Amino acid sequence: MRKGYRTWIAASSAVLAASLALTGCGSGGEQKTADGRTVVTFWQQKFEDYQQAWFKKQVDTFNTNQTKIKVDLQVVPADTWPQKLKAAQAAGKAPDIATTNYGNIPAAVANGELAELDGLLPTEAFDDIKDNVRSFVTINGKHYAYPMLVEPSTVLYYRTDLAEAAGLDPAKPPASWAELDTWAAKLTQGKVKGMTIASAAPDLGWSSWGLQYNACGHLPVADDWSKSVATEPCFERLLGLYKGLYQGGYMPKQPKVGYADGTPYGQGEVAMMAGGSWVVGQLKNEFPKMIEKTAVAPFPSVDGDPSRTTATLGGWTLTVDAKSKAKQDAAEFVAWLLAGEPAIMADFFKASGFSKYTVRTSVDEALASNADASADPFMKIISERVVPNGKAEPAYPWDISLAFGTAIESAMKGGSDAPAALRKADAAINDVIKKQSLAGTAPTR
Amino acid sequence: MALVQQPAGPAASTAAVPPVPPAPAGRRRRRVPAARQGRENLTAYLMIAPMVILLSIFVAWPLAYSVYLSTFKISFYQEPEFVGLDFYGYVLESAGFWHSIVVGLYYALLTVPTIMALSLLLATFIKSLSKRAAAFMKTTVYLPAVMSTVVTSVLFVFMYQDEGVANWLLGLLSQGPVNWLNDPHLALPAIAIPGIWLGFGISTLIMLAGLLDIPDSYYEQAQIDGAGWFTQLRHITIPLLKNVLLYLFVTGFTLAIQMLDLPLIMTGGGPVEATNTPNLYIFDSFRDLTPYATSFSLTAALLLFAVIGAISMVVFRLVRSDKAVDG
Repeated sequence: MRKGYRTWIAASSAVLAASLALTGCGSGGEQKTADGRTVVTFWQQKFEDYQQAWFKKQVDTFNTNQTKIKVDLQVVPADTWPQKLKAAQAAGKAPDIATTNYGNIPAAVANGELAELDGLLPTEAFDDIKDNVRSFVTINGKHYAYPMLVEPSTVLYYRTDLAEAAGLDPAKPPASWAELDTWAAKLTQGKVKGMTIASAAPDLGWSSWGLQYNACGHLPVADDWSKSVATEPCFERLLGLYKGLYQGGYMPKQPKVGYADGTPYGQGEVAMMAGGSWVVGQLKNEFPKMIEKTAVAPFPSVDGDPSRTTATLGGWTLTVDAKSKAKQDAAEFVAWLLAGEPAIMADFFKASGFSKYTVRTSVDEALASNADASADPFMKIISERVVPNGKAEPAYPWDISLAFGTAIESAMKGGSDAPAALRKADAAINDVIKKQSLAGTAPTR
Repeated sequence: MALVQQPAGPAASTAAVPPVPPAPAGRRRRRVPAARQGRENLTAYLMIAPMVILLSIFVAWPLAYSVYLSTFKISFYQEPEFVGLDFYGYVLESAGFWHSIVVGLYYALLTVPTIMALSLLLATFIKSLSKRAAAFMKTTVYLPAVMSTVVTSVLFVFMYQDEGVANWLLGLLSQGPVNWLNDPHLALPAIAIPGIWLGFGISTLIMLAGLLDIPDSYYEQAQIDGAGWFTQLRHITIPLLKNVLLYLFVTGFTLAIQMLDLPLIMTGGGPVEATNTPNLYIFDSFRDLTPYATSFSLTAALLLFAVIGAISMVVFRLVRSDKAVDG
């Protein structure tokens, strides 16, 4: 019996030792190439095809002209990004450089994930960032990301030929939500729907931020994140906008793609589309014949006032991981790509079909001399009439945005009436605030 | 009419086993030498060791470590904060978690009984066919089981489109179009259809194997006694397939409540969370990049394990498995 007991003890110890060996976290060491260059890993979230080509071209150029750094570019699809990043962070193998959107910066900083870039990048690099964007990458006066671009989340695209055919004046696009509803009804003809806009909660969660500002002047959370304000009656009008378009039959009830994809408009299935500025690039690259029949305008406002916010200014930055063992080398690449020679980023905006907007004064100046940029009608309208009224994306946890998106979806699809949907969202948001101890933690920028 | 010897209950079993006569006083069993017994024990331990070690490494240790981790707010960049059982409270208070359990149960209710009924009918039909026709049918019904869930999901998404096959068929009857995947009341049943299609092939083959084990003499005797098809099903087939049915029910149920792929690809959990199954809910929680979400999803996964385990135990208690009775 004693022997059996000893056998079990020995076996258990061996199992435990093997388990510990298998589950132990190994920290990633600083990698070197055969010729002694430091390897810097760079995860780029997958965007439009031209962006992958542009990043690859720039990384190749950087690597060719380098003797001490080699950037290892990896493209990661958006739908696998969060789990892949989390798994890498858990294993201590997070990339040295990653694409990070503005909205994720405050939470990542609070969790200590991002390296402070002051000191790693030259001061003049930060001086070049436009004033309205600097706050997007700054927490308590320190920079944790270098911005690449901004892109308004919501712009109205419409078919001029179909508007004329329906007896509408293409030179006077809808300015208020009521007019939008009228246009959508008149443009719904046969198999062509009048409008497409987000209709699933995960898309509504972020694409409606600008319209939440438009309806109420603020998001459904108090400025200090102490409580939900989702039940304010002004939000009912927003839910009414979506509900009217959906239940009126003016938009596809089973959209084939998500909000970010302009394919249904490009293929002529809808006459109007709410979409981000990036759709300009998609139309130019994939549906060039649609360009001459398309006009853009600021998305209509609740009461027709064009000075109200209709879009948040989303966009992407490059960040350096706080645990990176090659922070300075990583920062050197970021500085070269995003904050260096203005021609590099000017080339990017040209490749995007001027569907995204620069965040640097020097790049603006470089683009001013570009005839294509100054002549682009879409860029002129978006940069002059949408971007100036745009606001930053919220920094609170995604669960809050998803709860509000679910409320809009519920009202659209008949799950509940607007007040009931908003009450449910209100409870869900307050629950997030309580459990994640958010009260008073809104970041100071 | 007792066509089949009914399995005996525990009391009957005890009575049926001939009692072991007590060892006569003063007579002792021959003792196995200690050294030999030790060798035998060691051999037995060595034989089960690989499985014990693998289970310990890949099941027991991760499970124990997960329970330990669930008492922390996990951060990969800062010192984890010990929070005790707080996250268990958060999950149990979460309306989303319980809603996902209800969705999972509803999905299981839609798929498991349908798969079992279809499989039983199909297996009975195949059993009645000639060898050649049965072989063809077995291959045919098994085909969906080798289809990728991803491919199936995409195919059904196309079929459910406004201009898809499902609405075209309804159009022939002057009905529709129906908003299959974007109506909160229809989305889960619409997803259950590919779920049933994917699952019934393997169930049919397992059930057919069980049916073929039932001696034909029972059915012949029943026919002589004048029993019809339904009576034979009730008094012969179902009692003798009890263990097979129990196996299919429990495995089908645990697989169904854990369904992830179909709602992930076809609806993303919507509309209005109508297809947000427990695993999809946990997966989406994990994808949130905050430390709160990491601990929450881990704890929710542990509680789902407990919920599924508890329901499976109840099923086993309600439907006891018995040894096969083959007359």
